[in-house]
Amino acid sequence: MSMQEKTWYISGDVKVREDKGTRRVLEPEKWWKALPLLLLGILFLHASCSSIECPIQNTVFSVYSIKDGSAAADTLKDTILIWTVRHDGKDTLLLYNRGINLSTFNLPISYTNEEDTLYFYCWKDNYAELDTVWIRKTNTPHFESVDCSASYFHEITSVRTTHHAIDSLIIHYPIVDYEQKEHFYIRFKAHS
Amino acid sequence: MNRKSISTYVSRLILSLALLLPSSRADAQGFLKLEQDSIPLFRGFALSFDLVGMAQLQLSDYGQYEGAFRLNLHDQFFPIVEVGLGRANHEEDEVTGLSYKTTAPYFRLGADVNIMKKKHTGNRVYVGLRYAYTNYSVDIARRPTPDPIWQNNTSFSVDGMSCYQHWLEAVFGLDAKVMGPLHLGWSARYKIRMSHHDGWLGNTWYVPGFGTQDSSALGATFNVIIDI
Repeated sequence: MSMQEKTWYISGDVKVREDKGTRRVLEPEKWWKALPLLLLGILFLHASCSSIECPIQNTVFSVYSIKDGSAAADTLKDTILIWTVRHDGKDTLLLYNRGINLSTFNLPISYTNEEDTLYFYCWKDNYAELDTVWIRKTNTPHFESVDCSASYFHEITSVRTTHHAIDSLIIHYPIVDYEQKEHFYIRFKAHS
Repeated sequence: MNRKSISTYVSRLILSLALLLPSSRADAQGFLKLEQDSIPLFRGFALSFDLVGMAQLQLSDYGQYEGAFRLNLHDQFFPIVEVGLGRANHEEDEVTGLSYKTTAPYFRLGADVNIMKKKHTGNRVYVGLRYAYTNYSVDIARRPTPDPIWQNNTSFSVDGMSCYQHWLEAVFGLDAKVMGPLHLGWSARYKIRMSHHDGWLGNTWYVPGFGTQDSSALGATFNVIIDI
């Protein structure tokens, strides 16, 4: 019996095959044969349920890089303390304590203040000086997901400072977000 | 970075398989070649409704109502249009204080190919591809939260932020004939975002038809299908 002599087709729910004029009816397709695959599908649905993926680096802060007179990387020789005044104007908060031999340091940046005021207290031995730094910036909320805390991103628009211990403070990279770029180049005066 | 590299890897894998599949099966039975037999080309239509999206809507704060209209060509090729209405209403999260709201329609266009050797049994295993698009607007708000350093209360609220997204879905699925014209089936989908505009807040969370962006790129449907 050659293959050309056989044909089969669907008639309703049954398969029909004709062999040399003999009509044979085969059993109906069993839908439950596919049940394991359906169950596999349901398992897949369960496995593909959502998981929370918040950014690993999700803090926003400003980075200060210490430079020397030729704008090369330098190290802070003196000890530095940095603080600010809270919104209510009463409490002060220490942001950086007794930093020494630093080449960079990070400072928080306010969520929504138009201008942050920071106080840099630098001393060497028994000699101390105080500088005030004003940072103006924009504040843009940043949303990742309802499961991840929202942040604020910023663009630094200007910075000014007094010049007792700080020689210069310039904006190097104005965008403050999750990327840890060097936002400020700061240069301290050399003590004799 | 990790998510991106995995996504790139899976995208390349799917593309490679898509390119490989037709050539590897061509010798065996002609993957995209219409079978020559006595069955007519036009075999009717099918309407389907997705139960997964509806269950998500009932059990969580997002989901979608989705239906599809599918053409049956020779039990082998299935051009398909999927339309749906996606909805999310996440009210003030206990931990993050964030609220998120959106309701918008979406559609997908594409085709499935039945890869079973016996194509006319009524049961089908298929692979397919979809192009999808949605244009939606979102409301996002955060309750007043104190700045951890300066201690002043901060909050924000954005209403009607306009967003859109184009994406592709690679589909693998199965239909099983239950009785008469009734089929049940599921499909697993790998989604690839093509282009998107998430507004000016950074990202969006639930995209109608696409799902949440912080979950994996995998998705699934469980369909009730009626042949017409």
